[in-house]
Amino acid sequence: MRVYVNQESVDVLPGMTVRHALIAAGFFKEIETLKKVYDEWGNELGLNGALSEGMKIKIRSTKSQISNSK
Amino acid sequence: MKRIYAVGLNLLFLFLFITFSYGEQVEIRILHINDFHGFVEPYKPLGSDELLGGISYLATKVNELRKEKPTLLLSAGDMIQGNNWANLFLTESVIEWMNEMRFDAMVLGNHEFDFGREVLKKRISEARFSILGANVEGLIGIKPFEIKELKGIKVGIIGVVTEDVPLATHPRNVSDLRFISPMKIVEKYIKELKNKVDIMVVLSHIGYPADRVLAEKVEGIDVIVGGHSHTKMTKPVSLGKTLIVQAWEHAKALGVLDLFIKDGKIIGFEGRLEEIKPEEGKEDRASLAILNKYKEKVDAVLNEKIGEAEVDLDGENVRKRETNLGNFIADIMRRTSGADITLINGGAIRTSIKKGEVRVKHIYTVLPFDNTIVAIKLTGRQIRKALEHGVSVVEGEEGRFPQISGLTFAYSPSKKRGSRIKEISVSGHPIDHDKEYVVATNDFLAAGGDGYKVFGEAIQSSRDLSAIGGMMRGEKVVYNDSDRGLRDIVVEYIRGEKKIAPKVEGRIIEIH
Repeated sequence: MRVYVNQESVDVLPGMTVRHALIAAGFFKEIETLKKVYDEWGNELGLNGALSEGMKIKIRSTKSQISNSK
Repeated sequence: MKRIYAVGLNLLFLFLFITFSYGEQVEIRILHINDFHGFVEPYKPLGSDELLGGISYLATKVNELRKEKPTLLLSAGDMIQGNNWANLFLTESVIEWMNEMRFDAMVLGNHEFDFGREVLKKRISEARFSILGANVEGLIGIKPFEIKELKGIKVGIIGVVTEDVPLATHPRNVSDLRFISPMKIVEKYIKELKNKVDIMVVLSHIGYPADRVLAEKVEGIDVIVGGHSHTKMTKPVSLGKTLIVQAWEHAKALGVLDLFIKDGKIIGFEGRLEEIKPEEGKEDRASLAILNKYKEKVDAVLNEKIGEAEVDLDGENVRKRETNLGNFIADIMRRTSGADITLINGGAIRTSIKKGEVRVKHIYTVLPFDNTIVAIKLTGRQIRKALEHGVSVVEGEEGRFPQISGLTFAYSPSKKRGSRIKEISVSGHPIDHDKEYVVATNDFLAAGGDGYKVFGEAIQSSRDLSAIGGMMRGEKVVYNDSDRGLRDIVVEYIRGEKKIAPKVEGRIIEIH
């Protein structure tokens, strides 16, 4: 299944979660530094949330700034 | 006197006439949670500085809000799997709490299948509320829908779960079950119910993106109460004539949706999430009692002796050399998945176990992460690349250092990174760079954790993923049991063996 993390595509297995997508994109440590994950409609997501094909997720700081750094 | 009675009766008839002719506005409330996963106590989520959640605080909030207007309490699935409080009792604890809370209905989530059919049947029989699964065929005890009446308003609740359940759970859990497209099944039941109810609710465990598609394509749904994607929807989203709500995860929030209804139609709504936080003196006693009852039992289960280690089990040196504990865990993973090789990160193993009694809590401390086993086909060349990555920062003792089973290799830490690996053998034979081997690992590395890229490359090239025999497989993905934790597999293995004495066998040789 292909999903997008901050516009970078990653391939994960069905059943894998937001957490796995962040790991695959090299972003997981971002979450420990007060950053959160959002879907393409701006809703915050839990790290164990299910993914779906083509889903676009973004990492932002808690101050709502979009992070582009890995 | 007769005249007075006649006037009174006329007034009563007039009142009833006006009420039925023009309709009275009725307010009802839907309270909802989803993806609870057994998180009974408040915790600090990653990326957050404050404690959130806790069933005793959630219960207080539910009880306060229930007093204000006629209310339904709904769960959009995945109440289990993820926390010892639920897992160690095969979710009996969760059902007991839900009964106490007087839930009206829940839909099955994909994780409700994780403990097998017999356990699920037992939990369904214990529930004093409806468990819904309109698109699940073959499971006794569940209902496709429920009709509840609040202040004269009939609310139809249709429950649907993702049809991907067989892709994410073990085949034994879903054998003989059939999962039908949620969209088709919702259409079917809307036709059946539309003349019997005033308000149509879909209780969904298919995820927010799929909920949006459902709202856009199926007419007649008033409200979708969702789950599965763990989406924190601070306000209801209105798509066409359908409202979509979802309340995040782990009881960190309670969804509140107030519907204003006139002549059997929604004429207005207000929705919000109530964040659940610990507040002194706000604990609900009944929920707290259930929480504490099972918490004490958790301690007893974790203290259970499962076997004996005849040697010290070394989890301290897993980031710099082969250890007997690394070998032991890697061997169990290879055996469980039927793989040729195991390759895991030393960082997955967090501590040692002293010679002597082994208890459940020791294994949970050694393997604190919710890792599962995945087995993927890699070529000999890819395995070499993975091993080079694994030893690339051995001097820094990083978690990527490999622990292995089914192969041996030698490496030279003094050589430059990327050229450290010397000979590699699989089952006593030199590795064939062009041959494919089945490699067991954990889901963390399979997703590219600790910088291991080769598993992701293999997944990317395995485009033919499908459910075969109930398990998600593909050209490159051979095993993926995402509902069975690695630590529980290790616990069961030791319970069966009773005595263990793994050794360092020269699987990883450091040369200079």
